[in-house]
Amino acid sequence: VIPFVRDSTGITARLTSDEAAALRNLSGQLVAMLLDRGAQVHGDAAAMLYAQAGIGGGEEAPLDPALARLLPDAYREDPEAASEHRHLTERGLVDRKVQNARRVGADLESDRSPVVVRLDEASVQAWLRTLTDLRLTLAARLEIVEDGDEGQVNDEADAAMLTIYDWLGYLQGSLVECVSTSLDNRDASDGRGTLDAPGR
Amino acid sequence: VVELVESDRSTVEDLDRLDHRDQPWVTIVWNDPVNLMNYVSYVFRSYFGYPAAEAERLMLLVHHEGRAVVASGGREEMERHVEAMHDYGLWATLTRSDA
Repeated sequence: VIPFVRDSTGITARLTSDEAAALRNLSGQLVAMLLDRGAQVHGDAAAMLYAQAGIGGGEEAPLDPALARLLPDAYREDPEAASEHRHLTERGLVDRKVQNARRVGADLESDRSPVVVRLDEASVQAWLRTLTDLRLTLAARLEIVEDGDEGQVNDEADAAMLTIYDWLGYLQGSLVECVSTSLDNRDASDGRGTLDAPGR
Repeated sequence: VVELVESDRSTVEDLDRLDHRDQPWVTIVWNDPVNLMNYVSYVFRSYFGYPAAEAERLMLLVHHEGRAVVASGGREEMERHVEAMHDYGLWATLTRSDA
């Protein structure tokens, strides 16, 4: 079964009820992890004021490798600039990631099996980002650090996590195929793609 | 080789500054073992508006060289790009273009 199918009116996701439940669960865990980070760095009154103004965030990169990968430093060799930038932007980044994951969870609310979801443009973007964030999180847990790395699998739980990681990659790849085809059609219709991609 | 007189020297320094003045900062995307090649290409196409072939070239540069400069310009603009890349889950940083 191909999980994402594109037709003339848009993109449709088709998942079994078990798959949909698993993805809802993972999205919920991602939300919890991100909210936890938010709570840690917005605990005091000054932080709450910043938060109401829509800015603010930690000044240090998260210690948890998964969160550190989701919320990386913007400056690699300038800790002061990285800290300042994080303080101004991290909250917004966390909020958007939370909204994306919640949207995926909400899209999957269904009593039917298979779960068939029609994704509008906003949902497509939320799904692309959340699938990525979930894969980054699982990869950090599995200690996948290099290209071609299969991760540290020490027990059945790790093996299950690796299976989910691969499945999310399959979902992601399928969705990216769909949206890339949309871009190909856009480029072809305005004549942009023809010079750049001969033979396509 | 001639010695510079003071007025010439300032001209040379101005030219030097000019080189970096318009594009003083760059956005760099770093390789990671997680993001799919077609996803990275898609992000470069849809966010930066690169043609398919250029997006593919930059993606392969990230893959093989470990990183690629994907944009250059003012600092605030590069900070926005980096934040957008983090939204997509790509690992990006900004730095001075002459760093």
